[in-house]
Amino acid sequence: MRLTVYRRYPGSLPVVVTVLMAWLVVCGVAGAEVETGQQRPNLVFILGDNHNAGTMGCAGHPFIQTPGMDRLAKEGILFENAFNTTSLCSPSRASILTGAYAHKHGVKNNHTPWTGEMKTFLADLAENGYATAFIGKWHMPGEGLPEMPFLDLFVSYTYREGQGAYFNCPMIVNGREVPSRTPYITAEATDYAIEFMRRVLGENREEPLRPFCIYLSHRPGHPPYKAPQGIAGMYADADVTTVLPPQADPLWYGKTKGNVFQGVMMGSYDNEYRKYCETLTAMDRDIVRLLEEMDAMGLADNTVVIYMGDNGMQWGTHDHHGIREAYEDSLRLPLIVRAPGLVLDPGSKRGQMVLNIDMAPTLLDMAGLDVPATMDGQSLVPLLKDRQIQGRKAFLVEFWRYFPENTPSYTGIRTNRYKYIQFARGRSPWLFDILNDPGELNNLMGTPQGETILPELKSRLAHLIARTDPD
Amino acid sequence: MLKRVIAPVMSVFVVMSVSYMGYFGSRYLDGGIVQQWMAGFFGTTYFLSIGFGALYVYTATYVRGASLPQRITASLVNPLIWMTKEALRLTISHPLLESLYWYFNPLDIWLISFVIMEMGLGTLVGRSIQKRRDRSIRVVTAGPFAVIAGSLVFAVAVYAWGEGENIYVLFLKGYRFFFGYGL
Repeated sequence: MRLTVYRRYPGSLPVVVTVLMAWLVVCGVAGAEVETGQQRPNLVFILGDNHNAGTMGCAGHPFIQTPGMDRLAKEGILFENAFNTTSLCSPSRASILTGAYAHKHGVKNNHTPWTGEMKTFLADLAENGYATAFIGKWHMPGEGLPEMPFLDLFVSYTYREGQGAYFNCPMIVNGREVPSRTPYITAEATDYAIEFMRRVLGENREEPLRPFCIYLSHRPGHPPYKAPQGIAGMYADADVTTVLPPQADPLWYGKTKGNVFQGVMMGSYDNEYRKYCETLTAMDRDIVRLLEEMDAMGLADNTVVIYMGDNGMQWGTHDHHGIREAYEDSLRLPLIVRAPGLVLDPGSKRGQMVLNIDMAPTLLDMAGLDVPATMDGQSLVPLLKDRQIQGRKAFLVEFWRYFPENTPSYTGIRTNRYKYIQFARGRSPWLFDILNDPGELNNLMGTPQGETILPELKSRLAHLIARTDPD
Repeated sequence: MLKRVIAPVMSVFVVMSVSYMGYFGSRYLDGGIVQQWMAGFFGTTYFLSIGFGALYVYTATYVRGASLPQRITASLVNPLIWMTKEALRLTISHPLLESLYWYFNPLDIWLISFVIMEMGLGTLVGRSIQKRRDRSIRVVTAGPFAVIAGSLVFAVAVYAWGEGENIYVLFLKGYRFFFGYGL
């Protein structure tokens, strides 16, 4: 072909050679880029705390202002059926990091320590050339913070069982305790994240390009709710009647159904909810700031941003307050993924069932790495690329009793249509047809419909347990 | 004994029980003004009977001539019933021993410190009632004031120490010390 071209256009040989050489150079450089990781995306994973999935502007909440999350949803994908596998802070956090169910990673409640025996996706990314940072709430039991030498930056706190404080929380930076630099905790954590990005970019000017992964774990959503000046009180007059169930007592903060009656110790229920929303808005303000900083640094087009909650939150539904019951409000998570280049239909939603244990495989997949067999989760990348792809059909729900909460240990299965939960003691099983009874008001146990579907659900539950059993 | 000790205790117990039923029973109504009114009213009386019933019990038993051990025991009966109910609710998920550890939670510690404060206050109120009958009684002495001040300082200090969060952390550490991870 080259000869033909030359014969027809005798003066064209140098041009052809030049084009060919340029093509080869481009290919060579591009290959090197892949080798050095230049084209791999940066990854920013933001974790909220006790964030009810519906409490975002983009999820249709009537008054909360979350422009940061709304922007992510507009530029990415909002997952409407995201769940956690163990509805409690520490087990869910361990599941996010390891991609495994709690019975496998061993952090079964907020008392059982993180052993570090299971590898985290951050370790995998670090081993494969990523600059990695864990910033914010670690909140897993154990003596202090774990040793994670593979991290380029580890900023967290152990204050008050690792819950931290909203204001002036003492931080531990790479093992050294340092005083708070910025009063509000989300601003402080975000500052560390921005500095880390700048540092990696600065390093990259002289060295081969190195992508980064930031795990930014926030406190807002956790009591006692405190928002910073300018946000505190912004929902003081908000009408909560359309959000809270009618039985929720506005005057007393009563944990009903035999739970603790806390009375005026905690203030009115309506105000507690308003303050909860204010802390989420405070966190969102720093998400906005982080996104704008990324824009200014020119990172937006090659940086995946994921926002997720560790578990949901029940505000008076089923006469319960908290995070640990196997109702939808506790199990459901807010999840938004902005992945430039992967998502072809930004601003849309996905209805497939996705889980907290999917985060680790997803982030590894995005980085071009293999997903270890120890992980129970699945990568969301195919779902991000193609909305038609069928998601999982069921997942395992598990919970271990956690003092001082009076929820018994339970195991169950959540399918696209049903939820079956069996308790270790103290309660009869639950069986709900979520499709036809989204409020989970009619327990089908003992009904003809329940008797018909129960054997299959039990069988699928046994199969799920066997499949994910580490032994 | 019946009039001197049991009657004051029972009167608070009845208020507490009716309030409990009214407050939690209101949940069976489908929202609306009646449910909200019931929850608001009975929530208030429930709280008052648990938190401040001891003031009435101690004062009444004092005026009726009960001995110091009787007055103290009588004042503690209703708060202990409530605390026991709260501890027993945990038996749905935890073994009995672990459930009993709930007695040491910060809320119960506060409650007991307030009850002690009410005993001091009840002494002053009881004396002033008796003074109207018998002028020889001295109402204000150092004892009740020391009890009031000591219990109040304790309650406030416990709360001031991290707005109650630190004492809660201590409570959980104690749980892990005795019972491990609870699994």
